[in-house]
Amino acid sequence: MAAPVGPRPGWSRRAQYSLFFGFIAAVAGLLVGLFMLVLSLVAPASYAGVRGAALDATAPVTGALSEVSATAKGLISGAGNYWDAASQNAKLKRERAELRRLVTQARAVMQENGQLKAALGLRERSRQATAAGRIVGSSFESARRFAILSVGRSEGVVPGMPVRTADGLIGRVIDAGASASRVLLVSDRSNIVPARILRGGAPVISTGRGDGTVDIRPLEVGRNPFKRGDIIVTSGTGGLYPPLVPIARVVRLDDDGAIGLPIADPSNSSFAIVEPPFEPAAVAASQEGER
Amino acid sequence: MVRAALRTQGRLNRGPRRGVTMIPAASVVAASALALLPVIAVRGGWPDFGFLMLIAWRLLRADAWPAWWAAPLGFVNDLLTGMPIGLSVSLWTAMMLVMDLVDRRTQWRDYWIEWALAAVLILAAESAEWKVAQWSGAPVPFILMLPSIIISILAFPLFAFIASRLDRWRLGQ
Repeated sequence: MAAPVGPRPGWSRRAQYSLFFGFIAAVAGLLVGLFMLVLSLVAPASYAGVRGAALDATAPVTGALSEVSATAKGLISGAGNYWDAASQNAKLKRERAELRRLVTQARAVMQENGQLKAALGLRERSRQATAAGRIVGSSFESARRFAILSVGRSEGVVPGMPVRTADGLIGRVIDAGASASRVLLVSDRSNIVPARILRGGAPVISTGRGDGTVDIRPLEVGRNPFKRGDIIVTSGTGGLYPPLVPIARVVRLDDDGAIGLPIADPSNSSFAIVEPPFEPAAVAASQEGER
Repeated sequence: MVRAALRTQGRLNRGPRRGVTMIPAASVVAASALALLPVIAVRGGWPDFGFLMLIAWRLLRADAWPAWWAAPLGFVNDLLTGMPIGLSVSLWTAMMLVMDLVDRRTQWRDYWIEWALAAVLILAAESAEWKVAQWSGAPVPFILMLPSIIISILAFPLFAFIASRLDRWRLGQ
């Protein structure tokens, strides 16, 4: 087959002109696109309105579709749970007895902790969630890791707020529309979380790897402080993320750090909680410093 | 007998559908809108459906739309998929211009050449996306893009098939 020759205008002056102006328009479109791209790299905030509006327009569709898929998934997994209900029941009973003992211990520790803090005069700021929403979608077409959350500015969500589930940290809000927002997941390459190892408290830095895992590096050079199965929690340094929120579990060690699997699975968590920044003053100060 | 012969249901007297010039662009927007599916993937690597539909149409016909339509189509794609605004606008328009050049240069075109051409375009687009991600503070290693590139290349024939069937349908052939 011979190659398609493209639109041949022939002798018609009108057709020639329209082809030529089409070409000029395409070059202009290319230049406008490059300008927009540079603007969105240099000053991402300039598109906040447009991106928020797009989120508002599209998130309801994604939300409705996710209701459907959640129902279907629930039916299947619900049927699966009935399959071996008896052995599951026995196992759960054993686990419950064990957890009850642990809870008693934890209550005692918390009470003691409260008394000690009172004795030291430490003030505990009460933390209240800004909003709770469902994670309805994600950026499954690109290498960046974003999720779509079903709450937005009308519930008080603004870009920069940390997002977590009951299990652990999800990420932080980067775009907010009126009724939906976009969350930068902890597994995104550009998301850097100051953290520490729960066992021992050694300070570490967690960076996303873009493939659903996080890269964990110790701040102090020297011996690799990680063990398989270590829990990494936020340290509260930097003032954005609240301290002691689980981030990841170490699954593999490499020469000077470790690879972790995020504990909070966005696809499996029913609700995500948006919290105000832990120390708003510190965040504002560090952003001033960056400029 | 005569009346039956004049009926329009058969293969005779079938013209283009209504909105024939809009159908290719609409199908690209629809493919972009697949990004709204409630898939919560731990890792990316799905093909960029809108882009695949775009190059499938462009490889099938040079006159599916005027070249500059790629800019607004790319803008819609940027908004639907959440990519940095301007990435698809510039990339898709550049692809249209590149394809104009390719059309002038190539003498012969068959199924395999078309697929190879699509593979080159996909590679270029994913590399551009990778580079832009790097500039915006997410330096993902290129090896992470490979699954996405391979899946896109393998998925291209499907989109080429959809485009050709849509083309036949819209022209009433």
